[in-house]
Amino acid sequence: MVSVLNTIDTAHEDMVHDAQLDYYGTKLATCSSDRSIKVFDVRNGQQTLISDLTGHEGPVWQLAWAHPMFGSTLASCGYDRKVIIWKETNGTWAKLYEYSNHDSSVNSVAFAPHEFGLLLACGSSDGTISILSSTGDGTWDSKKINNAHSIGCNAVSWAPAVTPNALFDTGNRPPTVKRIVSGGCDNLVKIWREEDGQWIEEQKLEGHSDWVRDVAWAPSIGLPKSIIATCSQDCRVIIWTNDGTSNTWSSKVLQKFNDVVWHVSWSITGNILAVSGGDNKVSLWKESTEGQWVCISDVNKGQGQISEGQRTLQ
Amino acid sequence: MAVQWSTEQFFAEYKDLQASAMGVDCVGQWALLAGRKALALVNLNNTDNVIKVARKSKWEISCVQWNPHASHAPIFVTASNQRLDVYTWRDGTAEHKCNLKAHSRTVSDVDWSPFDVNIVASCSVDTFSYLWDIREPKKPIASFQTVAGAYQVKWNKVTNNQFATTHEGDLRIWDPRKGNMPLTYIAAHLSKIHGLDWSPSSQDHLVTASQDCSVRIWNWKNHQRSEGMISLKDVPVWRARYTPFGEGLVTGVVPQLRRGENSLYLWSLENHNQPVHAFMGHKDVVLDFQWRKQSPDEVDYQLVTWSRDQSLRIWRIDSALQKLCGHHVAVADNDTSTQQTSLLTSRLPEDLSKSNTSLIEEQMATSFNTNMGTQQLQSLINEFSLINSNIPNVTIEGMDAVYRKCLVKAVSGKRSVILNLTFPAGYPNGEAPVFQFSETSLDPSMEKKILKVLKDTSLKHVQRNMVCLEPCLRNLISSLDSLTLEERRTPDSEVPFDLTSTTAVQAKSFNSKRFRTSYGNFQDSNIPFPRTSGASFCSAGYLVVYGRPADLKKSSADVTPKALSDMVVYNQVHRMKAPQPQTPYVAMFSCSPPPATQMMEYPCTISNFYTYKEKRQRTRSRSKHIKDVPDIPRRESNNVKSTKSKPKVGFVRVYDASNLLPIHRQLAEKYILDVNDVSNMCSANANAASAVGRKDLVQLWSLAAAMYVKTNDSHSREMFLESPWALCSLGRPLLESLLDHYCKIQDIQTVAMLCCMFWTRETIAKPKRSISKTSMDYSPANTDVGINYMYLGSSADSGWNILRKSPHTLFIFLS
Repeated sequence: MVSVLNTIDTAHEDMVHDAQLDYYGTKLATCSSDRSIKVFDVRNGQQTLISDLTGHEGPVWQLAWAHPMFGSTLASCGYDRKVIIWKETNGTWAKLYEYSNHDSSVNSVAFAPHEFGLLLACGSSDGTISILSSTGDGTWDSKKINNAHSIGCNAVSWAPAVTPNALFDTGNRPPTVKRIVSGGCDNLVKIWREEDGQWIEEQKLEGHSDWVRDVAWAPSIGLPKSIIATCSQDCRVIIWTNDGTSNTWSSKVLQKFNDVVWHVSWSITGNILAVSGGDNKVSLWKESTEGQWVCISDVNKGQGQISEGQRTLQ
Repeated sequence: MAVQWSTEQFFAEYKDLQASAMGVDCVGQWALLAGRKALALVNLNNTDNVIKVARKSKWEISCVQWNPHASHAPIFVTASNQRLDVYTWRDGTAEHKCNLKAHSRTVSDVDWSPFDVNIVASCSVDTFSYLWDIREPKKPIASFQTVAGAYQVKWNKVTNNQFATTHEGDLRIWDPRKGNMPLTYIAAHLSKIHGLDWSPSSQDHLVTASQDCSVRIWNWKNHQRSEGMISLKDVPVWRARYTPFGEGLVTGVVPQLRRGENSLYLWSLENHNQPVHAFMGHKDVVLDFQWRKQSPDEVDYQLVTWSRDQSLRIWRIDSALQKLCGHHVAVADNDTSTQQTSLLTSRLPEDLSKSNTSLIEEQMATSFNTNMGTQQLQSLINEFSLINSNIPNVTIEGMDAVYRKCLVKAVSGKRSVILNLTFPAGYPNGEAPVFQFSETSLDPSMEKKILKVLKDTSLKHVQRNMVCLEPCLRNLISSLDSLTLEERRTPDSEVPFDLTSTTAVQAKSFNSKRFRTSYGNFQDSNIPFPRTSGASFCSAGYLVVYGRPADLKKSSADVTPKALSDMVVYNQVHRMKAPQPQTPYVAMFSCSPPPATQMMEYPCTISNFYTYKEKRQRTRSRSKHIKDVPDIPRRESNNVKSTKSKPKVGFVRVYDASNLLPIHRQLAEKYILDVNDVSNMCSANANAASAVGRKDLVQLWSLAAAMYVKTNDSHSREMFLESPWALCSLGRPLLESLLDHYCKIQDIQTVAMLCCMFWTRETIAKPKRSISKTSMDYSPANTDVGINYMYLGSSADSGWNILRKSPHTLFIFLS
């Protein structure tokens, strides 16, 4: 069902904290506690180191690729309180912009859907979220959501630019609103909406009993529902859904895992969720036609094998 | 529970002893570890000095006790099965003095009289309690019988001729002069009493620890109900003993199934709800614990513990801890509390907080008597004790948690300032400390500037209810440094170059070499512990998975740390050779970073956290590795197989997960759309679907072929001539439900194909055939339909139009 295409020895000197493929699936970026970011060419099963980006003064926590319409652009954030945007021009990678206006570790970066332009959200342990936007002439604007999460913000994710139900709703669609979901040490998940250039809190979702470690807004293929997955130190993953007609979000606990859950990630069609955590394991989840979330496979990283679980495709 | 905890000051493992009982002699020099095979005497001042006395017996030793009288300190008694043995410990040998036999079943407890050097009490499940005079070992001098077996016997420590015994959940108080008639009888607990202890200061008070998970405090003269109860939630209590100082208790527990929390807790008798301190580290039940002092004039007590994990640990109870139990030590001169006189020092890691604690001790000793809210006091004490005193060029001249003041001296170049900080009562909850320079060599403008920096920094923290002393001090010195640097840039400055101070600062901040990052900032308690494994869906249908190598184990089986600061805790524990604390309390606390030298030696990195277990065996290679880190040539080629036996970093794997997605690239490439030859189209598409393993689609395509059969439905005839069956009143629900289903499973590729197949060409001009097999796009001539598969999901403009338009037409038709 799932097969290994490529195994990359990153040769990082310390723990790897994130790995992301670019839009086309040809370049792999990894970041590590050794303060470096490495970019590999992984086309056709190869693994050639393209660049070793140094600039962070501490461990690098997370990476995000921008849409290719902005060129080969990568954002990184780390313990050194910095956000760095890197860009490749004529085969060479260089720092495009460095943002150091956070007071504590920056834990999460996420590029907005390309429809909104080159826009980056950053969540930091100083409790704030900043939104960096490229003006196009090489300068960057920044906006800050102050005190977004008391104690600290651990994760940010953008809502898709597709309005809910775009697939069937042919009427006058409202202009797409920019939304961000964030999670933090206050155990809360918050949804933010941009209105007249200001970011306002639209929703506060309570459900976790410990720090929220990751949030992921599912990509939309134009169906009516909006879906958000969140995971937490409390070992739970919660799926939040909004039916597109009201402003309420209903929650469903996917499962209580045996260990802390660190990361949730949606497939491009928004129907499969990859869950990973402190136990070094990955599981894939899918909603059955009856509305139940079922584990469809476990990726056992130690062995590099994937065992097929219950298959629910019809 | 406990807001404070500590790990031991000393740790030694004696795996081979299998000792079941432990006793410390009254001068605090020897610990006796007694097991079935041997008696081992451990010199507590030099724990390498272990003398074993072989013992041949098939019986375990149930308890041991040293004579509590200094004059007879080398005498100890052991209980094994039905008999007691008295030994004298002399010149490295244990000389057997006599045995005391009278009990008919296992002896459960022994206790030397605190008033008569020759008298020992023993009790047994045979229902008898005996008093022995070791000079007349033939038979007991007194016996006391009850109906139930006795489990504990303890002499009153304050008044002579009084002892207590426990029988299941009951407690009896005896006066040996009054014969076999207890002074009183207390139904103390509902379950068995495991532990009993008399107060060292009050003649009527005693404490019982029971299986019913509670500890009760009794005044036996008024025994209708206990004077106090400490509930340990769900854990049976094994021992509860008074502290030799103040009004405190130490409790040890026996968790069921031997799993869970093993920590000893220190309680103040003032507060039965929460322990004031936890002693964490033992991996199994603590079998016994006793007090000692390193030397008689020492202020600090030591708690010696022996656990079933076969480790002996020693915990320091400094005056700060003693104070928590209401014991106020007379002003300690700095030396006594910081001096480590014994040989222990050489084996112990530097006591990090030594200077700080002693400072606090003094304050507490001198000025404890304010009516400050203890909570606020505690939080300030915590902050003071945790502050990193190694900020370059900053000296903390004095800290007083009670008066909430702190005096700091900072030097940069020729500038020096003395800063007075006062912490308001509301600090750190919204109220910032007040800063005041008491002595400065700055101009007023500079002063103002720095004060503003300090104010900003502190406000930033207290607004979030965070403490701010350390960040303020760091900012103080950095602003001073920048002032000095500015001056140096101006040519006419007369400032002499103070190389030593600046290089120190620079070395710290510009250490750009790739070195294993050490964590240890006090504020890291709110930075989440980093992910060391994860999986992300990327691009179209790829799953990128990274993680730890399979051989890297978590050092603690059940706890994944929450915050980075837990690493620091771990690091400290690690240096003390202790196991990972197994409690969530870790998360509640962060500790001051170890001094720089320690950090170099034991860098606290995330991978260290995971590799710990292995390192013990690989110490040599590890230390070498760390020394070499800055020079390690980075491996540029990724194809080089790791020469090291175990890679530090796991592989990143890219998986093809496209089969999991409801839409398929291969289908997009192979599908054909030819309404003029529907049967051919359907079978070709069914083949394509079967090639990618979508059996449901194979079925769908044969169904679609059938549904496309033209009918002459009477209802639709007026509107559409020759419409497919699927669009007639009979077929329409089927088509609708198919579309519904594929929408639900988010297979928009199939939805789009169905729409294209069944749309009404009558309303729009007939499309020309334009199918390009190699292209992924299908474009009916007069619409802008196109399935650009590869950019699906990210590119809304091209991919979605078919769905926006076609269902529209479709729905017109269906409605």
